[in-house]
Amino acid sequence: MRSVSAKPSATLQVLFEPEGDARRLHLIMRQRDALRPFFLATWEALSRQFDAAELETWAGGVLELVNVNAGPACLIAYWEASRNAASTRDIAPLLGAAQIGAEICRHAGAAAATASLNALATARRSFEAAALSRWWRAMEVLAREVPESVLPAAGRMGQILLPGTVEAFEDFIAAGLRSAAGNRSRRLAFFSLQDDLARRMIARDSGGVGFPNVEAEVKAFATALWGELPLLRGMASDSLDKPQRRSTISGPIIRLPETYRGVQGDAARALFRAATAHAQAHLVLGRARFPIGTLKPLQVALVNLIEDARVETLAMRALPGLRRLWAPYHVAAPSGVATATVLLARLARALFDPDHVDDDGFVAKGRALFAAALPRIEDSAISREIGTLLGNDLGQMRVQFNARTYVVEPVYRDDGLGLWDFGEDAQPPDGVLDLFIDAVRVDSQERADGSSQQTEPGNTEAGIGRGRPVAPDDRGTVIGRYPEWDRVHGIERPDWTVVREVAAKTADPHTIDEALDRAGAVRNRVARLVRGLRIGRTVRLKRQHDGHDLDVDAMLDAGIALRSGREPDPRVFRSSKSVHRDLSALILIDTSHSTSDRLLSGSTVLDVERLAVAIFSEAMDQLGDPFGLHAFASNGREDIRMTVIKGFDEAYDRHCRARLAGLSSGLSTRLGTALRHAGNVMGTTSTSRKLLIVLTDGEPSDIDVPDPLDLVEDARRAAVDLHSRGIDAYGVVLGTAGIASAPRIFGRGNTMLVPRVENLPARLSELYFRLARR
Amino acid sequence: MPLDAYRIDTEPYYEPQATEIDTFTAAYHERLPVMLKGPTGCGKTRFVEHMAWRLGKPLITVAAHEDMTAADLAGRYLLEPSGTVWHDGPLTQAVRHGGICYLDEIVEARQDTTVVIHPLTDARRILPLEKHNEIVPAHADFQLTISYNPGYQSAVKDLKESTKQRFIAIDFGYPPSSTESTIIARESGADNDLATLLVRIAQRSRNLQGHGLDEGASTRMLIHTGRMVRAGLTLTAAVQAGIVLPITDNPDIRAALTDAIAACVP
Repeated sequence: MRSVSAKPSATLQVLFEPEGDARRLHLIMRQRDALRPFFLATWEALSRQFDAAELETWAGGVLELVNVNAGPACLIAYWEASRNAASTRDIAPLLGAAQIGAEICRHAGAAAATASLNALATARRSFEAAALSRWWRAMEVLAREVPESVLPAAGRMGQILLPGTVEAFEDFIAAGLRSAAGNRSRRLAFFSLQDDLARRMIARDSGGVGFPNVEAEVKAFATALWGELPLLRGMASDSLDKPQRRSTISGPIIRLPETYRGVQGDAARALFRAATAHAQAHLVLGRARFPIGTLKPLQVALVNLIEDARVETLAMRALPGLRRLWAPYHVAAPSGVATATVLLARLARALFDPDHVDDDGFVAKGRALFAAALPRIEDSAISREIGTLLGNDLGQMRVQFNARTYVVEPVYRDDGLGLWDFGEDAQPPDGVLDLFIDAVRVDSQERADGSSQQTEPGNTEAGIGRGRPVAPDDRGTVIGRYPEWDRVHGIERPDWTVVREVAAKTADPHTIDEALDRAGAVRNRVARLVRGLRIGRTVRLKRQHDGHDLDVDAMLDAGIALRSGREPDPRVFRSSKSVHRDLSALILIDTSHSTSDRLLSGSTVLDVERLAVAIFSEAMDQLGDPFGLHAFASNGREDIRMTVIKGFDEAYDRHCRARLAGLSSGLSTRLGTALRHAGNVMGTTSTSRKLLIVLTDGEPSDIDVPDPLDLVEDARRAAVDLHSRGIDAYGVVLGTAGIASAPRIFGRGNTMLVPRVENLPARLSELYFRLARR
Repeated sequence: MPLDAYRIDTEPYYEPQATEIDTFTAAYHERLPVMLKGPTGCGKTRFVEHMAWRLGKPLITVAAHEDMTAADLAGRYLLEPSGTVWHDGPLTQAVRHGGICYLDEIVEARQDTTVVIHPLTDARRILPLEKHNEIVPAHADFQLTISYNPGYQSAVKDLKESTKQRFIAIDFGYPPSSTESTIIARESGADNDLATLLVRIAQRSRNLQGHGLDEGASTRMLIHTGRMVRAGLTLTAAVQAGIVLPITDNPDIRAALTDAIAACVP
């Protein structure tokens, strides 16, 4: 820009056609003081590459942007893009950019157009000319179809273009438009990469191995190493211009980056393993928390570094092969400018690898201190001692240390936040928090998410099983009307109740996974039951006309018959046949208000129901028997809510688990209607046996029915009706409230009482296996 | 002697873990039935062989299976040219002539089969043979030992309570590291370093028990792996062939186990 005023623009003006676009543009710019220098600089740069005719068309493009009121920021962005592209000596793409920029501006506004033009630089890095114009067209489609999404998408172009092909980009745009299906907030989430699907698409297309791909493997890996199950979580990927985020430990949880950028395939798997092993080593071997006190950022970083070295030394004593896992990431060379960051990385390498040669005084001192402390290696206090000392030294060397830009090296190590105890209200010293700024941000995000999940209706004045009125807008769509038995008058009232389908809320499926992990014993037991059942039971048949071997007992009888002159029975063979199950099951989960009651263990009845259903579903999924999961609650006869957690045709995947995790307690139990509806749902399955299992924690009740007996009687009739339709209904009754009524409803043989609610997970699956073997 | 073929002449190697030898000796002294519990490949069968040798009694081993009937244990009539002839089953042989009858993996047999042992395992000590119309009183040397792997235990395959409660139980686990490495060194001919390393490797797989694996690597598995190394295979290949591949089919667990094992190797 400084070069702008060096050359007077007057010399150029002689070249203009009298009424041309270029002349008009110059005239406009003459009045725009703020824009003029940028414009003139661009003009000059372009006029070195292009002839007058080309410049004329370019000016036409700029005018087009001016005409749609693109605003100064947008014009500057376009000029910037033009200057960057000038070296290609091809004006056409620039003209295209102006046209589409104007088009985007028309549909999506100036800010979106500006962002798109800014993103052009990123796109140009990825694409050749032909692909670039396809990129522009895709952007234009986006602006036309979903204008509000252009801005977020353009802002994240670096990440979106990671896959590197224009096909992947077009696919991404199409997927975003399709998956959101008119839902604006979902669309925004998708294009701003908040959505899981979007991130996974990018990770998949860029050939990257993301945390979800390796989770099962690294979890098993860390468990195998130390015999403790790690709690792993993914962490949303960060923007490209920041350094790669490190893993972090908060409490017992290890958070790993969703992806490690630029690392692919087996290398990514190895890195995830290295990071998990390192973090788990902290949790298993370290466990110390240092009070932050008045330590300076540099000291904190050094204490982290020494503690890392300490736990790794301990870990490698027990498992020497870990050295091979971690060694490839220690690449700091003993040369170059000795900034603090470089020195720290060199020290990390020197402490990790005793054979590595590094003559730097500071590194040597760190090594000596660490070596001297080796006899006390079990004691985490040495990390703080050595770290503080070295921090002082480095401070006196006056090397540059910027807590804001510092990231732990090597990449597999965690950011160290988990090591520090910030105290209750103590204000950590200046800059220390900068070290952890990313991690802190993640933490608070999580909390924000967590609180939004807890949408369970709290305890209110309403009594157990009595619902609360709710706003009509979430009452859902009506999917059926059912009759109800009027006990007092002895008649069945048709179309008395209304069943509505309510969209399921979702929550983090990890909560289910973790509950499953904790319930290891029950889960294993159920898994064994599954195995027993899955193999396909074989039944041995005696005294057959043909078969694979002789039935010795039948042979003997035949032999005796022959000798005693009687007619022998020709059926002297044994054979076996395997029995196939042809069975479908529907679990109906009562989520009425009383399921929010807390048990002695601290979890709610619903928590236990959820766990039981999760274990059961896992088993069913392995067995391959078709099954469905529905939850029900009611709020008067006009409003019986069914939530489909898993339909019969649906696969039991993480979405189902998310919906299961998202179940919340509330409202009442109008069991009869729920049974009738479940009967209808089951009627569509084609298996010969149909099993309906109802999980409930008490007797039926609803706000508009004063005498619960009415509903008990109605439910009984509904159950009888199910039976006549060939559906076996079983009641699993939790706690003691429903002990009296449940046998009346389902019949004594079809009722399973679970007075200790905590036993449900084991009992539910057992019930199924007992029933399935019949 | 009819059971001479079942006698064990040379001492089967057995490294005691705790007081199991004393327990078994005392139980045999009182002729009480014994139940050996423990995961697969931890030395249950070897222990019985060792005890049979130590006590100088014949050992009749029956591997239970799903199709096993009471007749397979007790005996049946067979046709011979001269007519039907009664043949004692393995259990009846041991009862009649005196010896230790070892029913391996008893839960594999169907529950109605196992009740045949009930009269033998209480004060009666008799074996009624309905088909032969005979009651065989147990020989003074007869003793019944069963083994069962609680890992398989399930509602479907479990011992009846009435069967369980007749037995003296000895619980077998994986031996302590030092004992286990001694066993591996002795049985596979591996040197001490290799044996110790194999035990450390086994620990990794045992950590995964219940978290992807039903059972960790057994001592027997380690011995086999040690022998593969001795036969000239590299450790990595031997561990892969002897431990990782047999133990699981899940690719994630396989990868995790392979890497965790690599972490043990210096």
